[in-house]
Amino acid sequence: MKRKGDSRKYLRNVQVIDWNTIIKEHGPAVWQTAYRLLGNEADAADCFQETFVSALGFCRREKVRNFSALLARLTTARAIDQLRRRFRQAQSKTDFIDCSIVESEQAYPDQQAEQQELVEKVRQSLSTLPPQEAQVFCLRYLNDMSYRQIAKQLGITTNSAGVLLHRARTRLRESAELSVWK
Amino acid sequence: MEESKDMLEKAAEVLKNEKIPPGPSQELVDETMARLAEASDRTETIQLGSRIRIRERVRALKNIHKVAAAAVLLLVSGYAVGRLSAPRPPDLKQLQSALSPAIRRELLDEINQYLQASYASLADDLDRKYQQDLNRVGMQILAASNTVTNERLAELIESFNEYQSQERQWFTTMLERMESNRLKESVQLSNALAEELERTKHDMVQLLVYTQPAGSVPEPLKEPDN
Repeated sequence: MKRKGDSRKYLRNVQVIDWNTIIKEHGPAVWQTAYRLLGNEADAADCFQETFVSALGFCRREKVRNFSALLARLTTARAIDQLRRRFRQAQSKTDFIDCSIVESEQAYPDQQAEQQELVEKVRQSLSTLPPQEAQVFCLRYLNDMSYRQIAKQLGITTNSAGVLLHRARTRLRESAELSVWK
Repeated sequence: MEESKDMLEKAAEVLKNEKIPPGPSQELVDETMARLAEASDRTETIQLGSRIRIRERVRALKNIHKVAAAAVLLLVSGYAVGRLSAPRPPDLKQLQSALSPAIRRELLDEINQYLQASYASLADDLDRKYQQDLNRVGMQILAASNTVTNERLAELIESFNEYQSQERQWFTTMLERMESNRLKESVQLSNALAEELERTKHDMVQLLVYTQPAGSVPEPLKEPDN
C-alpha cells in the first residue's frame, strides 16, 4: 500500500508542475548563467534545454521547493560539463576571440578586448577544475549564493562548501591560464 | 599573490557583468517544451506500465490465500487417498524364508557356471600358452644344435684338410727320397758296370794273350766309340 501511495504522490508531483510557467519565470536566469559560462548562443541553447530536461528528471525523484536554486545549480553543472567537452575536443575554438562583441564606438575598445580574453581564460580554467569545485565557484561568484544555499543545493555541509570554494580559488590563481595575466 | 587575487576577482567580476544578449528566444523555449513533453511522455508510459504491474500484483496478492487453501486441501486429500488405497506391506521374514533357498540355489548355479566357464577358458589359455612356449623352446634348441653341428663339421673338415696336406707332404718327401736313391743307385750301377767292363776287357786281353801263339802279338783292342 505504501508503494501505491508513493506512486500517487509521484503522479501528483508530475502533473502539478507547469513547465511553461517555470520556463517563463526562470528561463532568463538560466539563459544568463548558461551564456555567461559558455560565451556563445549555440552552446547556451543546448545547455538551456539540457538544464530543463535534467530538472524534469530531478522532479521525478524529489519534490522541489526552490526552483531558482535548483535551476542555477543544474545550469552551472551542465555548462561546466559543456566547457570541459569543448576545451577537451578543440582547443583552437577557444583561441579565437569573438571580436564582434567589441564595439569600437565605445571609449576603450582595447580594454574590452582584454576583458573578453580574460573571461575566456576564466572559462578555460574553470573547465580544468574538478566539477564540484567549479560549481561552487560559479554559484558563489556568478549567482551570488550563500555558503548555506550552495551546501543545500549540492547536498554537502557548509564547511565543505567553504573548503571547496577555497580550493577552487587557489587552483584558479595557480592555473597557468590566469598566471599569464599577473 | 595579492595581484593574482585581484586578477581573479576582477575576472570573476568581468564574467559576472559580461554583456549577455537577451534570451531565451521563443524558438528555444518551444524546443525546450517539446523536449520536456517528449521526456514526460516517455516517463508516463514507463510509469503506467509499472502501475499496471503493481495493480496486477496486488490483485494476485488478494487471491493468494484462496489459492494456498486450495493447494493445502488438495495435498491433504491426495495423502489420505494414497494411504487408504495403498496395498498392505508384505511379511518380510516369510518372504525372506521363501526366497532365500531359491536365491541361494540360483546363486550357486550361477557361480558354478561362472567357474566352469572360467576353468575351461583358463585351461585353453594355459594349453595355448604351453604350446607356444614349447614351440619357442624347440626352435631355440634346434637353432642351437644346428649352430654346434656346423661348428663341428667345420672343425672336421679343417682336420681332414690338415691330415691330407700332411699325407701329401710325407708322400712327396718319400718320392723325393726314392728318386735320390734311384739316381744314386743308378750312378753306382753305371760305375760298377764300367769297372766290370774294364775288368772284363782286361780279362779278355789276358785271355787272348793266353790263348794266342807266341810270336804273334795281338792287336790292341780298339776302344769302343763310346
